[in-house]
Amino acid sequence: MSAVLQNLIDQPYKHGFVTDIESDTVARGLNEDVIRLISHKKNEPDWLLDFRLQAYRHWLTMSEPAWPNVHYPKIDFQAISYYSAPKPKKKLASMDEVDPELLRTFEKLGVPMHEQAALAGVAVDVIFDSVSVTTTYKKKLADVGVIFCSFSEAVQEHPELVRKYLGSVVPPADNFYAALNSAVFTDGSFCFIPKGVKCPMELSTYFRINTQESGQFERTLIVAEEGASVSYLEGCTAPQFDTNQLHAAVVELVALDRADIKYSTVQNWYAGDANGVGGIYNFVTKRGLCKGESSRISWTQVETGSAITWKYPSCVLLGDNSVGEFYSVALTNHKQQADTGTKMVHVGKNTRSTIISKGISAGESNNSYRGLVKIGPKAEGARNFSQCDSMLIGDRCGANTFPYIEVKNNTAKVEHEATTSKIGEDQLFYFASRGIGNEEAVSMIINGFVKDVFTQLPMEFAVEAGRLLGLKLEGSVG
Amino acid sequence: MDAASNAFRDSLLAGQSAVAAGRQAWVNRLRAEALERANALAVPTVRDEDWRFTDLSPLYRVAFRAADTYVPQAAQLAPWIVPEAGARLVFVDGRFAPSLSALPTADTPLFAAPLATGIERHGPVVEARLGQIAGFQQDLFVALNTAYLQDGAMLVAAAHQKVAEPVHVLFVSTQKDVAVHPRVLVIAESGAELTLVEDYVTLHDGAYCVNAVTEITVAPNALVHHVKLQRDSKAAYHVATGTVRLERDGRYRSNSIALGARISRQNLNVVQAGPNTECHLDGLALIAGRQLADTHSFIDHALPHGTSRQLHKCVAGGGAHAVFNGRVLVRPDAQQTDSAQQNRNLLLSDKAHVDTKPQLEIFADDVKCAHGATVGQLEAEEVFYLRSRGLDDTAARNLLTYAFAADIVNRIPLPSLAAQLRATVLEQTGAKELA
Repeated sequence: MSAVLQNLIDQPYKHGFVTDIESDTVARGLNEDVIRLISHKKNEPDWLLDFRLQAYRHWLTMSEPAWPNVHYPKIDFQAISYYSAPKPKKKLASMDEVDPELLRTFEKLGVPMHEQAALAGVAVDVIFDSVSVTTTYKKKLADVGVIFCSFSEAVQEHPELVRKYLGSVVPPADNFYAALNSAVFTDGSFCFIPKGVKCPMELSTYFRINTQESGQFERTLIVAEEGASVSYLEGCTAPQFDTNQLHAAVVELVALDRADIKYSTVQNWYAGDANGVGGIYNFVTKRGLCKGESSRISWTQVETGSAITWKYPSCVLLGDNSVGEFYSVALTNHKQQADTGTKMVHVGKNTRSTIISKGISAGESNNSYRGLVKIGPKAEGARNFSQCDSMLIGDRCGANTFPYIEVKNNTAKVEHEATTSKIGEDQLFYFASRGIGNEEAVSMIINGFVKDVFTQLPMEFAVEAGRLLGLKLEGSVG
Repeated sequence: MDAASNAFRDSLLAGQSAVAAGRQAWVNRLRAEALERANALAVPTVRDEDWRFTDLSPLYRVAFRAADTYVPQAAQLAPWIVPEAGARLVFVDGRFAPSLSALPTADTPLFAAPLATGIERHGPVVEARLGQIAGFQQDLFVALNTAYLQDGAMLVAAAHQKVAEPVHVLFVSTQKDVAVHPRVLVIAESGAELTLVEDYVTLHDGAYCVNAVTEITVAPNALVHHVKLQRDSKAAYHVATGTVRLERDGRYRSNSIALGARISRQNLNVVQAGPNTECHLDGLALIAGRQLADTHSFIDHALPHGTSRQLHKCVAGGGAHAVFNGRVLVRPDAQQTDSAQQNRNLLLSDKAHVDTKPQLEIFADDVKCAHGATVGQLEAEEVFYLRSRGLDDTAARNLLTYAFAADIVNRIPLPSLAAQLRATVLEQTGAKELA
């Protein structure tokens, strides 16, 4: 590996600072009282407390899954603080009253909290540790009937909607971490697009973990009614600690007839240092339900951070003619581990799904694609195409593919392809012969490698993601 | 482990006739060790990742008994005789049948004999390999096979000798409710070449269980061609593990055809233990009715410059269930590995289903690895083309199905066997009237 490449991968993490802000943090540990306390702090209705307690009781009966291709010391769930919020000075009336320390934090991160300073046409919900700090452009969105607010706010103001859809895609007992999240989730974003409305701007949530011993358990719920459409972005960072923090989120998407949801993630949690000390455990359950006919859910993810990434954004294609898409770039470096992919469950007739996954492993990292394509017995004419490519940079990393294909209908057509390659000497030589240096050549090759996915990202995100990839890989090839 | 699966193992154990202690202490030790493991290992269920799609519970309900002694007439075996074969070893319900076998003469470069003879003649050579290539520590079925190791076939191709005529090892089942544990050990010495036909057939339609283990060692620069035919009864259970160890420049080719059995499971493991080795694995499962055919292959690229090619096809009609799990591992030292794997599945009916999982695990960077899997039905365009040539819909479909399957059969290097199997495939795919 050349020095150029080495430099490319060894970029320091830029978002690793800690904001010194007074927080209201609940003592570590988990029991029913903690759940009651969270629920009480958030002034929740009884049904939600019951939802939490039931999930917690079920969680107690479950055991931690051991099947993924990742290795980490056992998590002590009693050593985590399940609630941490910046201390409220008083009820905020406008943006100007937000703690200036917080404002500075997000300014440093480049997240616009002031509407006038905001990226044109992107509404942002900002989540700091366990709670939502602010949501921009709320009024403009309300004018067209779009509800976009923090989850706690939605519980207070639109309880009937939350109650109807919460847990309808990812039931509380779905898996170990979903059950844990259902018991202790603190905040998140809620988004509702009524019938026939095309959301006039991109919606975005920015997640930030700040407290060392807290975990982040947020919950996102997006509902698009008949004919509605929305594009949603999610970004995340965390400060640099030498301990591991757990992030176990649940994201639920519901698309009714002809609705269209596009969900994009640029994940840049702190990944730990070069020796694998610290970093976020990103154990997330994301699932979209194409409930209505001709609905469409598209996941795009750029996973560059986290010590361990373990998630499978999935689509359940229930409605006839519904479409599921998954575009992913997962980059691992140093001692990062990723076991990520998707599940496409075809239930309805003529359902279609596309999976494009690009994995890049560098350093001593381990990158796995794990995916499931399941065609149910009634999914006449279902169609799937999957392509999973891996690129290895260096000889100490690993790339794995575990695609599961289960077909129970003979009119379905399923194709899966996977390749593994490295940046060849001959490719670099070709670039050199055209006067393009190694570093630039590598960056061009990688850009070409991930292009199929990046073109799916909304413009601002694509630029950011491209830069992120470049930074992460700087110095790793040659 | 639950009570039901315990009962299965006990029934399998009870159904065994006692194996007398052998003359070699090491064989007895090996058996005892394997029996101990068999008792310790849990019976696999669908909760085990390796057996996720293959539910063995019907097998657990069979009450096994010890086999009666019975030797069929030579004429009864006529349909399966391979004329090209230079030697034939026939095993009836797991026991070697000398009267039906034709062993090579002593002056040939090939040694082919029952395992007992092999142990006596080649003691140290066998000791170093038997039970060492196919490990039984983690596999109940291999452990059971090793524990009941009694009769089996042993082939040795002497160094630098090309054995032109294939060796036919024929396992015949003649009675139901019997569990047999056939064993094959193949040793290709350096530079040798050998073709093995491992063939499982039946004279009845009842349920029985075959639990076979085949160990193959390929010394430097040797070549082993392995044709495996599984033509058990449609009520039978067939669990087989084949493990191949390739040394430097060694080559292994396999054609594995699964036609019979209610539930069949083929494990094929190839360890590339030397540099510059090569393996070609071709497989076909042609099943219908309520059959289940499960193929698990594992290619372990442990050293540099290895090549592997795999094409596995499944044709599932009726309510059949095909399973494929193809694992390719490229270890950190196995640079310059070139691996390609294809799995093609054809579903002929709306009740048939397939579960496939090609799996790539790569830990070296300078490699070329690809895999692909497809599941589908016959292409409408292809059917249309044949119809435009005057074939009716059924005939067009049958012909296409036949062509899909015959692709693998045609790769078998024995003309008579390939022809015989083509006929079987014709019949099974219903394309016979076109021939």
